[in-house]
Amino acid sequence: MGSSEPLLVARDLSKRYGRVVALDGVGFSISAGVTGILGENGAGKSTAIKIFLGLLRPTSGSATVLGENASENVRVRARLGYMPEHDCLPSQVSAAEFLTHMAELSGLPPSVARTRAADTLRHTGLFEERYRAIGGYSTGMKQRVKLGQALVHDPAFVFLDEPTAGLDPVGREEMLTLVRKTHREFGISVLLSSHLMADVERTCDRIIVLRDGQLVQSGEVGHFTKETETVFLEVDTKRDELVIALRRRGIEAALDGGGLTIEGPDESVYDHVRDALVETQAPLRRMAPRRRALAELFERGPG
Amino acid sequence: MSGTVFDIGYRSYTGVREGRGRSRLAIFKNGVRIAMGMGRGGRAKILPWTFIGILSFIGLVLALIAGAAERLAGPGATEQLNLPSHSDYYGISSLVLFLFAALVAPELLCRDRRENTIHLYLVRPLTGSDYVLARWAAFLTVMLFAAWLPQVILFLGLSMGDPAPAEYLRAHWLDIPRFLASGIAMAAYATTLAMLTASFTTRRAYASVFLIGLFVITTPFTAGLANEIGGKTGQWISMFSLTNIPVHVNDLIFGDVSEITEEAPARAFSAAGLVGWYLLWTLGPGAILWARYRRLSP
Repeated sequence: MGSSEPLLVARDLSKRYGRVVALDGVGFSISAGVTGILGENGAGKSTAIKIFLGLLRPTSGSATVLGENASENVRVRARLGYMPEHDCLPSQVSAAEFLTHMAELSGLPPSVARTRAADTLRHTGLFEERYRAIGGYSTGMKQRVKLGQALVHDPAFVFLDEPTAGLDPVGREEMLTLVRKTHREFGISVLLSSHLMADVERTCDRIIVLRDGQLVQSGEVGHFTKETETVFLEVDTKRDELVIALRRRGIEAALDGGGLTIEGPDESVYDHVRDALVETQAPLRRMAPRRRALAELFERGPG
Repeated sequence: MSGTVFDIGYRSYTGVREGRGRSRLAIFKNGVRIAMGMGRGGRAKILPWTFIGILSFIGLVLALIAGAAERLAGPGATEQLNLPSHSDYYGISSLVLFLFAALVAPELLCRDRRENTIHLYLVRPLTGSDYVLARWAAFLTVMLFAAWLPQVILFLGLSMGDPAPAEYLRAHWLDIPRFLASGIAMAAYATTLAMLTASFTTRRAYASVFLIGLFVITTPFTAGLANEIGGKTGQWISMFSLTNIPVHVNDLIFGDVSEITEEAPARAFSAAGLVGWYLLWTLGPGAILWARYRRLSP
């Protein structure tokens, strides 16, 4: 499979649980690289991942990974990795034994499985602790074991479901670095599911946004984040006059709490803001760039 | 002198991938390790090895008694005194074997579901059917080890205790295939019932308590009730003595009645009836167990 060919393809994918619609006619394709699937809880991210892995059958439509339907051909799962969001680790065994077992489960011979388990634990920073029972690990260490078991068999594609869940800022930073390194250095493509915009921005090349089971946005992360840039002006009074003055200069501004928000600004906007402030004599307290909150972004609907 | 440490780290893998067969074997091996407490702390080893010790001790005691009788009362004393032998062993030790299954087998299924590890297994090249069959085979193997080892000890004891070991082997070699076949019947029955019970709960303790209740309570209860009521109804009630079901098959294999089933009214049923009843209680729960795990793979 060439690097430009899609590794994952969803066509008109729907999944219903009785009256609840988890996915509603979603279509997208994912090629090599790190792709983020972004959405709030219940948006359909985990359902989509489970369908790709063959754990769920779609109500309609199709989902293929590496050119195969994983629920019909379980062999393809030997080239897939999965790091679930929830707890899934055996408490009584050591990380070394667990990863060896998981490598064998993906079809690797036992001697290779042992070597790869040690290598993977070194990659995820758990080499020194590898003989301790997993039950005694911290949350961050457990997340690393979960990542390790997803990578130990050298998959072509790995699904990471909320990999930073429960981590402190340092642990989160380290996890995202590991994810990025996994693709950059080892060529493993990644689908990273998250509800945190910052995680996806930092780590992914492309992004897919789901809301209520529907595809809201998809595209390159660079384009996507640029689109979300705003400038916030905090002014005590004369806010309406300022909006009108900006509009005369071709700039749309919206009232937002104690100030105004200007969307998707380019460099010239700052000159116009200065002129409008001088014209209206509005008392400026603060002017700062601001990223739109994820919830606001989703409210925009399909784009 | 200083050396250089090379951190090879994570590398891409281009070697052989053995597919679904290796996955099944991995689940099987892991199941055997869980059952025997291997790769786990000392506490995990206590239960299985204590039971294997008790079962072996029973076999050893039977061998010592027979050996002493042969030496004290002369050759052939074991048979003349009707001392317990291979045909009696599974009857004598059945409750211990069932307790072993009740306490250890659920660990192979319950913990994977309680800790959600099964979700990681089922995204590997493995179906729910592969998983449960491999786990079942793993515990069956452990049960066979626990069932056969004391019989082997007993056989060695009896043949070495006999003043003419070669003669003993010639006369009793058929006991070997018999105790092997009977051991399979005992192990398959106990494994299947224990695994089915374990498939309904994520807590090993619940499964164990239920199974112990089932094995320990039904045996005296059905025995008492069957004898009190008597007749055909009594025979049918006796059939529900869960510990006796595979022992009847053991009796058929050895062509002898073991001490535990000697008084059981169910003995009056035909050989086909007893075997059919055993198969119903083994294949039926096995089919339900398989169906429960098959659903996990869409």
